[in-house]
Amino acid sequence: MTDQQTYNYTVVRQFAIMTIIWGIVGMLVGVLIAAQLAWPVLNFDIPWLTFSRLRPLHTNAVIFAFGGSALFATSYYVVQRTCHVRLISDKLAAFTFWGWQLIILLAAITLPLGITTSKEYAELEWPIDILIAVVWVAYAIVFFGTIVKRRVKHIYVANWFYGAFIITIAILHIVNSAAIPVTLTKSYSAYAGVQDAMVQWWYGHNAVGFFLTAGFLGMMYYFVPKQAGRPVYSYRLSVVHFWALIFTYIWAGPHHLHYTALPDWAQSLGMVMSLILLAPSWGGMINGIMTLSGAWEKLRTDPVLRLLIVSISFYGMSTFEGPMMSIKTVNALSHYTDWTIGHVHSGALGWVALVSMGSLYYLIPRLFNRELYSLKLVEVHFWTSTIGIVLYIASMWVAGIMQGLMWRATNPDGTLTYSFVESVQAMHPYFIVRFLGGAFFLFGTLVMAWNIWKTIAGAKPAVGIIPAPAAAH
Amino acid sequence: MLRHVWGLFVNPKREWESIRADECTIGKCYAVHVLVLAAVPAISGFIGTTQFGWQIGAGDPVKLTVESAATIAVFYYLAMLVGVYAIGYMIHWMGSTYGANVPLSQSVVLAAYTATPLFLIGIMELYPVLWVNLVVGVVALAYTVYLLYTGVPIMMGISEDRGFLFSSAVMAVGLVAFVALLAVTAILWGMGLEPQFTNG
Repeated sequence: MTDQQTYNYTVVRQFAIMTIIWGIVGMLVGVLIAAQLAWPVLNFDIPWLTFSRLRPLHTNAVIFAFGGSALFATSYYVVQRTCHVRLISDKLAAFTFWGWQLIILLAAITLPLGITTSKEYAELEWPIDILIAVVWVAYAIVFFGTIVKRRVKHIYVANWFYGAFIITIAILHIVNSAAIPVTLTKSYSAYAGVQDAMVQWWYGHNAVGFFLTAGFLGMMYYFVPKQAGRPVYSYRLSVVHFWALIFTYIWAGPHHLHYTALPDWAQSLGMVMSLILLAPSWGGMINGIMTLSGAWEKLRTDPVLRLLIVSISFYGMSTFEGPMMSIKTVNALSHYTDWTIGHVHSGALGWVALVSMGSLYYLIPRLFNRELYSLKLVEVHFWTSTIGIVLYIASMWVAGIMQGLMWRATNPDGTLTYSFVESVQAMHPYFIVRFLGGAFFLFGTLVMAWNIWKTIAGAKPAVGIIPAPAAAH
Repeated sequence: MLRHVWGLFVNPKREWESIRADECTIGKCYAVHVLVLAAVPAISGFIGTTQFGWQIGAGDPVKLTVESAATIAVFYYLAMLVGVYAIGYMIHWMGSTYGANVPLSQSVVLAAYTATPLFLIGIMELYPVLWVNLVVGVVALAYTVYLLYTGVPIMMGISEDRGFLFSSAVMAVGLVAFVALLAVTAILWGMGLEPQFTNG
């Protein structure tokens, strides 16, 4: 059998395995820094072990290493399976895998050393940024090249989402990372003042919108119908909310800069676009939930479906919370508090991580020709991660509201009622609960890793044979 | 009055059956259950924040002025009454998707009795100690979720599998409602209805 009669599962397998490994690493760092916030002594006065250096390591590891690997793995799988064709180039695909791993390794070395651009979610210095751009362009060539030589006329909607994610991230990354190098490890942004802030949050919010949303919606549109064994509830809705989402997200960034030096009209525009964004977001949620709702009779035997249901529910919740928090009056209270951190994690743990894990539970047995080792363990994973998320976001809600109130409280003579450190002290119990929530979630991930390990240990890699071209339909 | 409360803690499944058998109207359900229980956190909160206050770290206890606490207590009470009805309405609205065909009253009753543990722990606000409130709050929240998942299949007359899906959807609605409440609160505070602290 020649290569051209089979799918390239090798690169999918590599990325799928690394998703789990980077997930554990990233979440472990997260639990550590959560513990440092509750018990500062855990910083040990060692520079590279302090919260400030590990926090970007945590965000980069979970977003780009864990989330990124999940997106690479699933997009390469989905684009081949739905186009009935092998990836356009095995060499280029392998280059994206090794290139991406090298980038992660470089991040893991430079960030704890304190080498940073100080741009949030874009902390890596310019040589690494160039490497990212090169790998990303290779990714785009592999993905779109495969679509070009597809043997199915139709381009399935999941590929639209993956494609939008790949193109937009390329633009965002290149524009936001424009910088003037000084030395190998130091550069200055090409933009100054408030323009720099605006470019940063145009990038930052669309890292959420395209990296953490559009890409994962692509995942949802393939793996949810597959796992449920039913077609997408409404194909028309999927296309309508795709265009609405793509159009609206790109304008929402200024809500990160309410009450700053950014012109007021830009802030208001960001707020209005964020509120409109609720509609396309919920279009996606409704489509996912309704697709799953028809498969209720499978729930007893399939804990993976539960994982996917909870993930879509959290997608709906956090895409409602986001627009609420973008309202200027609400933001005046919520900004800089832990409410924001809770919001991010209801999206990141609840939606992004759970939909990735649900997809991996579908994907990995098929990549290794094995049944999943234990459904019981999936159920354990489901419960521990759900409890973990709820503990996390509930504690951050309370913490955020308290912070907002304490920072605002004034005495009759106009002086502040609380010093900042008093508000920090008041957070102690909530920080402990947040640490526990994170630990629960990490434990669930470890259970998953064990389950996957037992599934694939000693297994032979599966060979995916491309079906003969179907007759016109 | 309140005759189902004990049973919901001792034997929830049997109690849900008996609540279902009552076929309560919305008015009666509010009269015997919601109006009474929602008063627990509202009144306890009013007394606790004006008389005892709460302590952060080693500082003096923080209290609210009587007028400020009274305004908050009234809003708090109304928000709970509206919240129960709103969630009940959403349950009713989503019912057909999950194959349940029950009157609106049954859905509101489900929402009202599910919230029982959350109403009851309001008593802690009489003497607020932050970390105790937090620990008990988490336990009560967990039990509320348990009541929801046991109550939905019984009250909605659907299979447990479908009930699981339905309950998860109700959870999502509940979270959304809570976030909406947070946002409304923040807006009200922003418009000058912020809590007034006494400095004593």
